[in-house]
Amino acid sequence: MYYAQVRPQSVLETGCGETSDAHCPAQQLNSSIQLEADISTQNPVEQILGILALIVINKAGGLIYNRTFGDGLNQLNTNDYLVLAGTFHGVHAITTRLNPGHQPQQITAGGIPSRPDPPSGLEVMESENFRLQCFNTLTGTKFLLFTDTLQANVDVAMRKIYDLYADFVTKNPFYQLEMPIRCDTFDRKLNSYIREVNNAR
Amino acid sequence: MPVQVYSLYIFDRHTECIYSKQWFETPAPAPSALPHDQHQQANGNGPAMATAGEQQQQQQPNKPRRNKGADDAKLIFGTVFSLRNMVRKLGGDDDAFISFRTSQYKLHYYETPTNLRFALLTEPGALSMRNVLHQIYINLWVEYVVKNPLSPVEHKGGEGVRNEMFELGLDKFIRGLM
Repeated sequence: MYYAQVRPQSVLETGCGETSDAHCPAQQLNSSIQLEADISTQNPVEQILGILALIVINKAGGLIYNRTFGDGLNQLNTNDYLVLAGTFHGVHAITTRLNPGHQPQQITAGGIPSRPDPPSGLEVMESENFRLQCFNTLTGTKFLLFTDTLQANVDVAMRKIYDLYADFVTKNPFYQLEMPIRCDTFDRKLNSYIREVNNAR
Repeated sequence: MPVQVYSLYIFDRHTECIYSKQWFETPAPAPSALPHDQHQQANGNGPAMATAGEQQQQQQPNKPRRNKGADDAKLIFGTVFSLRNMVRKLGGDDDAFISFRTSQYKLHYYETPTNLRFALLTEPGALSMRNVLHQIYINLWVEYVVKNPLSPVEHKGGEGVRNEMFELGLDKFIRGLM
């Protein structure tokens, strides 16, 4: 199986910190979805395993961020990514509605039945070549993290990415909610974190 | 390890749901005189025509009555079809969608080269059931549906699938897992 391939560790060390500005300039905030060229693909790495891609979908089903890390997944064009985001948004809504069986009543210590958790949509999807973890925030933004099938602790990585989003995107005064994410700091922090995770394996 | 199985759906290559079966016990419906009400409504144009207020009361309980099984089958097909295409696009044509999980259930998917699709819903903690679906295909579908000389080639409306041997074998097999 190709998962057994070992990556050269040193190659990943190059090419970090190549971005310039700490703040996201206001003129970058036009609503076009045309995301700029991928920073991570400039790294001369043959096969990165681990975390393969990150996609962020806003609450209306629009694509607001996508990055690929390495070439574990097929490269799609921007239009295909938009279609993918919309499709996933719909599928997620359907999977929330499908509810077979009935939940057992959870009894708390006081003997009072607690309110059951609201149904969640798709959380993890598995295929032969990759695994997709979906995190749905309370405000309806979805983070899709594509990893290889053997990646462990995806929850931790997802949590960290959400922290980065909260710190460097939502706290950016120039960022408009539900709009494409174009924040250099977020890009930089994300890239270095993903590189760290992928190197640690 | 026992695993709680909720339901199984089989779709043919024309995207039609040709077989579905539930194993969980549905919660008992609230005691009401629904069938009787319906009967009255069916020939309700007689002298016993209800007043507008009463009619509303009668229609209220009828509202959630829909063919839930058929609707669910369509939703499940839409879901697995979309996810399968998504997986093929991202992972290459040789990639195959295996399963997805929510907090309440897990859906296992298996597709034969002839585009016959199996979807099995289990509890969320279940391990991969791909081999189970493969066994259902080999030992039950092929044996009792494909090799049945009386079964039609296409199973329009589930014809030919609902034979005794297949149903009994399937039920026994799934109950053996639980």
